Order: sequence, then C-alpha cells, then structure tokens
Amino acid sequence: MTRHPSTIDDEFLIAALRLASGSDPVPARVTEAARAVFGLRLPGAATAHPMATPVPRGVRSTGQPQLLRFGAGELTVELEVSSLDGLVDLAGQISPCPDAGALVEIRTLHVVESRRLSPTGQFAVTGLPPGWFSVVCHRPERSPVATSWTRIRP
Amino acid sequence: MSDQRTIDGVLADDQTAWDTLVARFTGPLWSVVRAYDLSPADAADAVQGTWLRLVESLHTIRDPALIGPWLFTTARREAALLSRRRRGERLVADPADAEHARSASADFGQAHADPMLAVLTADEGRRLWQAVDEMHEPCRSLFRLMASAPDAGVRQLAGRLGMPSGSYGPTRGRCLNRLRTMLTAREATP
Repeated sequence: MTRHPSTIDDEFLIAALRLASGSDPVPARVTEAARAVFGLRLPGAATAHPMATPVPRGVRSTGQPQLLRFGAGELTVELEVSSLDGLVDLAGQISPCPDAGALVEIRTLHVVESRRLSPTGQFAVTGLPPGWFSVVCHRPERSPVATSWTRIRP
Repeated sequence: MSDQRTIDGVLADDQTAWDTLVARFTGPLWSVVRAYDLSPADAADAVQGTWLRLVESLHTIRDPALIGPWLFTTARREAALLSRRRRGERLVADPADAEHARSASADFGQAHADPMLAVLTADEGRRLWQAVDEMHEPCRSLFRLMASAPDAGVRQLAGRLGMPSGSYGPTRGRCLNRLRTMLTAREATP
C-alpha cells in the first residue's frame, strides 16, 4: 500500500502523534454525547440549509440579535438569536405559514422544547443551553423539515 | 464488524451499530480536532457537530468505505471554522454558512482523505514516534512536549523549549516538514 506521507498535512501528523502518545484521551462526555446523537435522527425529514441573511457573515457580537435563515424547498425558517446570562433565546418565523396544527420542536443535545405556531407562523423559546440546536417544523400530513444543526456559544 | 454491516445496522436503526462507529472513530476524530489547537470545550463541539452532520446525512451514504474519510473531512471543517471564529470575532452564533453546510452534507463521494487516515493507526503512531526519537533538537523535545501537554499555549510551549514565542510556529512547521520527509524516505525504502 502506498500512503504518500507527503500528502499528510500538519493537523493529521499532530493528531497521530498525540493519539499514539495517549496523553489526550477523549473525555467520557464526548463519547456519551456521540452515542446519544443517534436518538436525534429524524427519518424522512428534509434538511433546511442555511441561506444568506441581511446580516453580513462574521459580524462581531454587539449584543444585538443575530438573524439566521434556513430554507428547504419553499419553506423558510428565520431565527433571531440572542443570548442572556449564558443562555440562548430564539424567536422564529416559519414562511409560508403552515396549516393549523403545525408544531415546532427546538432540539438541543440535552433538551427538546415544543411550541405551537402562532396564526402567523411565529414561535419563541428562551433559556436554551449553549451548543448545538436544530428547529424542526412538523406539519400535518407532510414530511417534517429540520434546520441544519447550528452551534451557539454566547 | 465490517463497514458494510455496521452501516447496514445504522441505517436499520440499530443503536449498537452506531455505538460501533462511535467507538471506532471518536478517538481519532478527537485527536484531529484537537490538532487545530481547540480548547476541550470547542473540540467537544466540533466532534458533536460531526456526528450530528452524519445523522443529518445518513440517507446520502452510498459507499460505506467512505464513511471514515467523510467523518474526518467534516470534523476538520468544523474544527477549522471554530478555530477561525475563536481567533477572530466573538460571535453569538456560529451559523454554519451556506457553503459549509452544503458541502458537509454533500455526496459522500467528495471525501478523500485515505493517506491521512492511514496515519491514525497504532502502527503508524509507533512509526512516527520512532522517527521522532531519531530527530535532532529542538524537534524531538518540541514533539514530546506538544504531545504531552495538549492544552499548553504557544507561549508556555515556547518558554519550556527556551525559544521566543514568535519562533515556535515556524519551528514547529519546520519540524513537521522534517518528520514528513523522514516518513517519505522510509516509504521509498523497500
């Protein structure tokens, strides 16, 4: 087998040295979280991918809410993200507004919050733990749509 | 368990098969993201993000042999993003940008990292350290220190090596190049 070591970049060399030295073991919580992630799969769900927003990417935190936008097909999920005391608040808008009976789930690795949509397609959730989250829109008689997992650290 | 059987199990909602993937790849993934000088908290986020993207992308798996390269490609992207953000701006949110998310969940066929993955085996690790033991200073001490103190910052590492902070990065780069050259020479030896 030819391995072409010249194509191995710095990070892989460093990783291999550290892995072999055994001096940086994986914390147990990282492995536990990886196992638990399997419970978060959503068979049949469409993924809403990030879309450009009016807020320039890489903007510095100014304490103002940040706008995120995700799209899957005709459905758009817009989120205003703000943080207070280390926790995260989300205010969302689903467009076009789904039929009555639609339910939104805000999922993190640790908690799942459910919200009924307002008649205009809005929802809000406060006090989320920092880290990864995804918003799932469950619509009557249609496939769910889940936003691509996004990380928030206040 | 073979890659094919493991992936078949994962696609059939078998948690045990998923745990097999986690047991096999989480250690190397952790080491790879840590090599981007991420803190333990950021490294944990990068590894979790990688597994979350796999859950998101399960339905796109066509070739089980590509799952390793795909995981490492995704982890490196997450780590590079976090590392860039940490060095630059302090953000409220890390919205994976459109390009990032699309490429991360794109076709598994786009992941190519076999030569790099080969280095993350126990045998290769031993070979690397044998090569390090044959190196001159400061490379030998630099690698030993870098491996034994993964959370030490540049200033601390440079201080313990008796060099100015500004010299650490270039020296590390030269030592890594030398190590690569030694490996290439060994590959060429029958």
